[in-house]
Amino acid sequence: MSFADTAKDLIDVRVDVQTLYEVGVYVVLYGLALLWFIPLLRMFALSVTPSTQLFGFQWVPTRVTLAFWIETITTSDLLGRWILNTFIIASTTTALIVVVDSMVAFSLTRLEWPGRKAILGIIIASFMVPPQINVIPLFTLINRLGWVNSYQALVFPFVAGPLGVFLLVQFFRDIPEDLEESARLDGFSTFRIYAQIILPLSLPVITALALFVFVWSWNQYLWPLIVLQNEAAYTLPVGATTLQSVYAQESNRLMANLALISLPLFIVFLLFQDKLISSVQMQAGTG
Amino acid sequence: MSVESDTGPAFAADLRQWIDRETLEAYAFALPYLAIFAVFLVYPLLKGLYMSFFEWNLLNPAQSEFVGLQNYATLLQDPMFWQALKNTTWFVVLTVPLLLLVSLAMALGINRGVKGTKVLKFFYFVPYVMTVSIVGFLWLQLYSANGAFTHHVGWLVGNVLGQEAFAMPALALVTVWWQAGFYFAILLAGRQGVSERLYEAAQLDGAGPLRQFKDVTLPQMRNSIMFVLIAGTVFQFRVFGQVQTMTTGGPNGSTNTLVYYLYQLGFQTFDLGYGAAVGYVILIILVGVSIINYYLVGQGVEG
Repeated sequence: MSFADTAKDLIDVRVDVQTLYEVGVYVVLYGLALLWFIPLLRMFALSVTPSTQLFGFQWVPTRVTLAFWIETITTSDLLGRWILNTFIIASTTTALIVVVDSMVAFSLTRLEWPGRKAILGIIIASFMVPPQINVIPLFTLINRLGWVNSYQALVFPFVAGPLGVFLLVQFFRDIPEDLEESARLDGFSTFRIYAQIILPLSLPVITALALFVFVWSWNQYLWPLIVLQNEAAYTLPVGATTLQSVYAQESNRLMANLALISLPLFIVFLLFQDKLISSVQMQAGTG
Repeated sequence: MSVESDTGPAFAADLRQWIDRETLEAYAFALPYLAIFAVFLVYPLLKGLYMSFFEWNLLNPAQSEFVGLQNYATLLQDPMFWQALKNTTWFVVLTVPLLLLVSLAMALGINRGVKGTKVLKFFYFVPYVMTVSIVGFLWLQLYSANGAFTHHVGWLVGNVLGQEAFAMPALALVTVWWQAGFYFAILLAGRQGVSERLYEAAQLDGAGPLRQFKDVTLPQMRNSIMFVLIAGTVFQFRVFGQVQTMTTGGPNGSTNTLVYYLYQLGFQTFDLGYGAAVGYVILIILVGVSIINYYLVGQGVEG
């Protein structure tokens, strides 16, 4: 390209509003992504920073060490215990919610019985009750049951929530009735209609619900903090609290621990990104 | 079943309907959830109301002293409660509009189909899958003397968590970072639900980007924007973890919020009856907010 051509192109470039707008969109989007990335970058960068480089600020350490990751993985037996506890609690909660919520939603939408409208009304109304305000009376109940430090103390109060029932009721309602009627004519029992017609048809909404409940239960903080009073019974979110007090002065060691604790859900998110985002979107209907 | 019950009184027919096979099956399906719901949600809710009328004795509940409405009277004159209510409202005012602004920018931008959508979505949403304690400790580091925030913005504001004026905005910033992804996802779905035909029509009418935003995007996304505002208000009103991990209510009570105050009463000073009363007042405030919102939104949709 000759100099003359280039000059001509330059002159031809007009300040195009559309282009500027387009550039602005990119700047905002990537700017936000960068801002959102910085805290994570700091967590991972600090976790590999040698202690000698902790003083003063640098974005990325000039020397890198995996010592704290290795140390955390190999020497911390409590961490393994916490992962196990959290996993058991989150998966039990998820499984129980899927089973009991789909059963009650099926009963409320597909079966006739006196009082079902009132019951559904009460369940929906309970959306207005913030779980946080119930912690004091709930704790006295759990205490009397002798469930302090137990898995069931975390599972049952979460299963009592209305979210899953509400989502499934909305979905079950829209399943056309002719399928069910022809199945009844074929001699299907109520249970077979639930298990072989309604559940398979609802698989997408059930998996989205399950994924959301799993992540949400995994990350619960206030209630586990109250009801788990023994280090061996802690979940990861509560366990992280003890790490902070132990490693407050060693940010590299602390960040290695926190990064490791965050990893399981980062991996879940990487694997199911779209599914998890759509499970959040499903909830816009709950307003 | 006897034949004569066919002509019997109405309650016999009712009774038959209650116990016939299909109804029993229906109850059997509903029972597991309803039992858990009754024991672990409804019962504590009523028990909390009951406890709020007592000077509750933690070790020996039977010896609790009935005090009537005294806990509620105390609460009205409790400066800590009013400060917590003020702080919580301030936190909601700081977070909700910012969350809406940031997540709307993310959603509208992503919807344009820019390059790298998948990566952008990942970074916007990933903080949401982190637990609040890790978020809190991570930001505690960023805000510390050696942290990235203080290093780059510290000359302007100093140690944010140590100052009454800046501590709450600092917690709000953490919250926006942590939760914007959630609202982004909801607004993205809302934007994708808007028919492109409306934009084509607007373009034919000569509407520029700003007009399109004002006359098509905003009204069409009304429901999801309302969800962000309402659910956002209700969720942020319950703020706890950020306070508990980062400031424990300080400095000088400037970040003490209602749920954190409730937690302190219940599990640090063991003032269970009073804590239950505080819980009930929070419930009443939030139900009030929900009802007001319901009527505002309901009327808006009709009007």
